Amino acid sequence: MSDTFADRTKAVSPFKEAWIVFLKNKPALFGLVLLSFIICFILYGMITQPDPFEIVWRPFSAPGEEGFFFGTDYLGRSILSGLLVGGAPALAVGLAAAALSVFIGISVGALAGYFGGRVDDILMRVAEFFQVLPALLFAMVLVTLFTPSLSTVSFAIGVVLWPQTARLTRAEYLRIRELEYVRAARAIGSRNGRIMLRVILPNALPPLIVSATLAVGIAILFESGLSFLGLGDPNVMSWGVMIGANRDYIFDAWWPVTIPGAAIFLTVFAVSLIGDGMNDAFNPKLRTR
Amino acid sequence: MSLLEVTDLRVSFATRHGEVSALDGVSFRLDEGETLGIVGESGCGKSITALSIMGLIPQPPGRIVGGSIKFQGEELIGANSARMRRLRGGDISMIFQEPMTSLNPVFSVGDQIAEAILLHQDVSKADASGMAVEFLRTVGIPEAATRARAYPHELSGGMRQRVMIAMAMSCHPKLMIADEPTTALDVTVQAQIFDLMRKLQDEFGVGIIMITHDMGAIAELSDRVAVMYAGRVIEEGAADFILDNPLHPYTHGLISCIPALGAASGSAERLPPLAEIPGIVPPLHLLGEGCAFADRCARVHDACSVAPALKGRPHGVACHAVEAPT
Repeated sequence: MSDTFADRTKAVSPFKEAWIVFLKNKPALFGLVLLSFIICFILYGMITQPDPFEIVWRPFSAPGEEGFFFGTDYLGRSILSGLLVGGAPALAVGLAAAALSVFIGISVGALAGYFGGRVDDILMRVAEFFQVLPALLFAMVLVTLFTPSLSTVSFAIGVVLWPQTARLTRAEYLRIRELEYVRAARAIGSRNGRIMLRVILPNALPPLIVSATLAVGIAILFESGLSFLGLGDPNVMSWGVMIGANRDYIFDAWWPVTIPGAAIFLTVFAVSLIGDGMNDAFNPKLRTR
Repeated sequence: MSLLEVTDLRVSFATRHGEVSALDGVSFRLDEGETLGIVGESGCGKSITALSIMGLIPQPPGRIVGGSIKFQGEELIGANSARMRRLRGGDISMIFQEPMTSLNPVFSVGDQIAEAILLHQDVSKADASGMAVEFLRTVGIPEAATRARAYPHELSGGMRQRVMIAMAMSCHPKLMIADEPTTALDVTVQAQIFDLMRKLQDEFGVGIIMITHDMGAIAELSDRVAVMYAGRVIEEGAADFILDNPLHPYTHGLISCIPALGAASGSAERLPPLAEIPGIVPPLHLLGEGCAFADRCARVHDACSVAPALKGRPHGVACHAVEAPT
């Protein structure tokens, strides 16, 4: 009799449960599949390594003409090669910048929310200082201060994006630190650091995971924006660079601008769908039905 | 030497009404293996007393103004934070009112108990997990090995409170503070939890401070009882004695608030109407010089404009209208 009970108590952690809900969400699953395709495409580019700077044919050859699948740009470079190679930096910078912004954001937000008072005041004023600066302008200044390279671009974007995560983290810490299980953790003699990292952080993670995912999308857009403005690494082909280089000729040839633009759009779209799906998975109450 | 000796403890809080005294000279003691019940209405300082002993008064806004808390002869007020941390969960542990929210939802209950063990004992992770299962068995959880992997939301309220007790007992404390441990549970489960606490007390000899507003819980478990009102202990003594012969008008009122089931047993007459104490506990910032209960007291007279002191031993009472027994 009691054995049947044991069979029924199959332990499911809240995170596993969220994953199960996520898999039932069709748009999110579509986003996941789309992103997988894009990543496979980029991986294929990394393996075959076509040279995107090589002039292969006459300029402005339309897609499908002369065997060039996506046509050529104003210098006669293959768009397909650019697309294959240019996704990796966008995605890498997106991930690195989002990781950096989440790391800074969680550290600052956790300290501010947990300790409150003076610490909170100082850290949040710093965060606000970063928030009032126009983000893209500030990132441009940072990139121009250093030599443009993938790492400086990631750094600049990460530094620009962290205050949002910090505020979200702070709000979660302010809420959770008053809960009974935090008091209980203190009552068994846990240190502050342990309470911040082991007790509060896992409970604050759901909204932070969502925001981190969306930050990847935003960071990809930022990378494209900076590359478009010519502030990326000049030796690296990226989707943003392709748009930027071909923008003057958009009325003569739509494809050199539109195709990389669509690639950026699809990537950010896929990431946003995933982020949205995670949001629904972690907040089942928000699901409308 | 008694296990815990609280003398003239004074705690105040900074509020928008200025500094308000939450505990105004609280004194009591507890021997090893003894249970002291602290009763009183909401807001009379029961929980603040518990938090003071644990060293968990939020400072600011709280401030310990004076008095002493001696645990096994060691002064806890002003003890450094590392020492207090070792005591908390080690020699002194606490269980909370809301078993629904006092467990961390993202870790399995076994992990949480193991965590408490690892904080205070020098054992390996695997040993701690094994001990956690053992404690779950001790507090009467069936299928302990399986349940240790369960998450809090998969357990009932009573089960969760058992887990809390297992966590509190995991480092063999000498003193356990139970802050309204059964308030959120239904009556049959309450009885089970009391049984469990009594059993653990017999087995491990732990001293228990039980904070409650439920006189029934006091009758069930306590050896001695301290009745608190507006930050003071107004009556103290053996639980059996006070329940039968309450001296202070407030204690008297509290006890007459218990519905007397079968009081008129045998007769077909109607039971007497349920008594109540008129009024509410005065807001702390409005407390004057006099007896805090005076506004609600039927036996108030001129002397009540001066706050009475707790007189008499072992049965003490703080009231001008009654004589302390000798």
